[in-house]
Amino acid sequence: MSVDFIVGIFRRVLNTPEVKADSDFFELGGDSLLATRVLSAIAREFGVELLYDEFAQNPSPVELFEKVAATVP
Amino acid sequence: MNGESMRVIVVGAGLAGLTAAADLVAAGAEVTVLEARDRVGGRMHGIPMSATVAADGGAAYLGVRHTELLALLREHGLDVVSTGMAGDSTFLFSEQRTTTASRVPPLDAVALGDLFDRLEELVAQVHPDAPWETPGAGYLDHMTAQRWLEDEVRHPDARTFFPLFIGEMMAADPASISALHMAFYLRSGGGIRYLNAFEGGAQEWRVDGGAHLLCLALARQLGDRMRLSQPVSVIDQESDEVVVQCVSDVDGTRSEYRADRVIVAVPPLLAQRMEFRPALSSPRATTVTGRGCAVKVHLGYPAPLWREHGLSGWSVSAGGPLLSTVDDSPPDESVGVLTGFVTGAAAPAFGALTPTEQRAEALAHARRLFPQLPPPTRFSVTDWRAEEYSKGCYAALFGPGDWLRLGPTLTEPHGRVHWAGTETSLEFFGLMEGAIRSGHRVAAELTDDAELVAASRKVVAR
Repeated sequence: MSVDFIVGIFRRVLNTPEVKADSDFFELGGDSLLATRVLSAIAREFGVELLYDEFAQNPSPVELFEKVAATVP
Repeated sequence: MNGESMRVIVVGAGLAGLTAAADLVAAGAEVTVLEARDRVGGRMHGIPMSATVAADGGAAYLGVRHTELLALLREHGLDVVSTGMAGDSTFLFSEQRTTTASRVPPLDAVALGDLFDRLEELVAQVHPDAPWETPGAGYLDHMTAQRWLEDEVRHPDARTFFPLFIGEMMAADPASISALHMAFYLRSGGGIRYLNAFEGGAQEWRVDGGAHLLCLALARQLGDRMRLSQPVSVIDQESDEVVVQCVSDVDGTRSEYRADRVIVAVPPLLAQRMEFRPALSSPRATTVTGRGCAVKVHLGYPAPLWREHGLSGWSVSAGGPLLSTVDDSPPDESVGVLTGFVTGAAAPAFGALTPTEQRAEALAHARRLFPQLPPPTRFSVTDWRAEEYSKGCYAALFGPGDWLRLGPTLTEPHGRVHWAGTETSLEFFGLMEGAIRSGHRVAAELTDDAELVAASRKVVAR
C-alpha cells in the first residue's frame, strides 16, 4: 500500500503524467465527475469508500493516502 | 474548387443548411434555400425574455473544441459569454433539498465513479469514424442503453443517476436508444468529461444575444436566395433536372424549384417523410428512430436573484419536470433567466400536459428548488418534440438497430441528392458544431465534383 497507487490513479483518470504526490487534483484540471472516478478506483484498490467531501478537502495523492491509511483498520 | 453555374437547392435553413449555402455561394453556385417554417434557424431559436434579451429556446452552449462554430461566430462578429456557474449547486433527491459547493449530487460518490468508469470503458470501444464497425457493434446496437445499465451496474444510486445523466447529455430516455448510440454520442461530443463540463467543456459559453443570431446573420447574407414557408414534399430526379415540390401549409400553394443538385439538411425523421423519386435505396430513419426528448422551460426574473443567495442556479432533481436548471442570464444582469431542462422520459410526459398544468408543475418545482425566489415574471415552454419541423431536439435518437442500418449510408448521396445536418456528422453529432461540419462537408462534396456536373450537362444537351 503506497501513495504511488493514488498518483497512478490520478495519472490514469486525468490522462497526464504530470502528477506528483502533492499535486492538487483540481489544479491539474480535474473536476467533480473525474473525482468520483478516483474514489471508485480507491475503493477498488484499497477497499475504502471515501466521501466526495473528504476528497474535496484532501485533493492530493498524499492527503488522500493519509485518509485511506487512517480508515484502514 | 469551382461551383460556377451549378444550381443548388438547400432544403432546410438550420445551421447545417445555411452553412452549406454560404459555402456554395462563395464558390459561385446559384443557391436557393427552402425553409418550411416562417423563420430560419431550425433547432436554434430565440425566446424573448425582455424587450432586449433573448434566451436560447434550442441549441445554446459551446466550448473550445467547437472550432468551426467559433470561427463562424467570429466571421459574423458575434461574441460568446461564459455560462455562469459561480455559487453553490442545488439538488432535490429523495424529496430533500440540499446545496453544495460541488456538482456531485447527494448520492454515493463511489457508485457514481463506478458508473462513469463503465461508461468510459464502453465509450473507448467505439470506432468514432465508423461506429457500425465497433467491435461487438451488432450486440451493442441491438441492446438498449437501459439494458446495458442493468447488466453492468448494480448500485441503486448509480441507477438513479444514469437516466438523469443521459437525459442531460443527449436528451434521451435510456430505454429507447441503443447502447451503441449512447456510446457513440458521448464519444462524438468529446467524451463524458468534456460533454458534461461547463468550464473547460461543451457548456463553457453561450452566444451573446442568443445562438439564433448566427443563423440570422447567415440568412441575411443569403438575401433573396432564402425562401421561407416552403415545406418540401417531393424531390424528383427522374429527369435531367432535380425538381423540388413544395406545398405551403398556410394556403396550400404549390411551388416547384429546379436545380442540378439538392442538399437535404433536415433532421432524419423529416427527410424520411419526404417523397423521393426514385425512392431512397437506404432509409434516413426507421420506426425506432426517436425524437430528441428535450423541453426547455424558461423562467424570467427581474435579476439573477439566486446569486444573492450564493447559488449558481444550476440544479439537478431526481424527479421531473425540471430535471436540471441552468443560469442563462445575460451578462448585464438586466434580467434573470433560469432554463429548466425537461429531458428523457419526462419530456413526453410534460408535453402531454395542458399549458396551465405545465406552468403549475414547473413553478411548483422551481419553488421547491429555490424557495427564496419570488414567482418568475416570465414563463415560456419550448417543446421540441411537438415541433412539426424539428421533431425533437437536441438530435434524432438512434434506437436499437439504427446504427447498423442507417450509419453506413448517413452521408452517401442518393443520386443528385446530398445530405447534411448534425445527424450526418460523426464529429460532434447532435451539436451546433456537428451541423456546421456537415454543412462544410456537403458543400465540398458538391464543389469537388462541380466540373463533373458541368460535363454531364453538356452530354445531356447534345
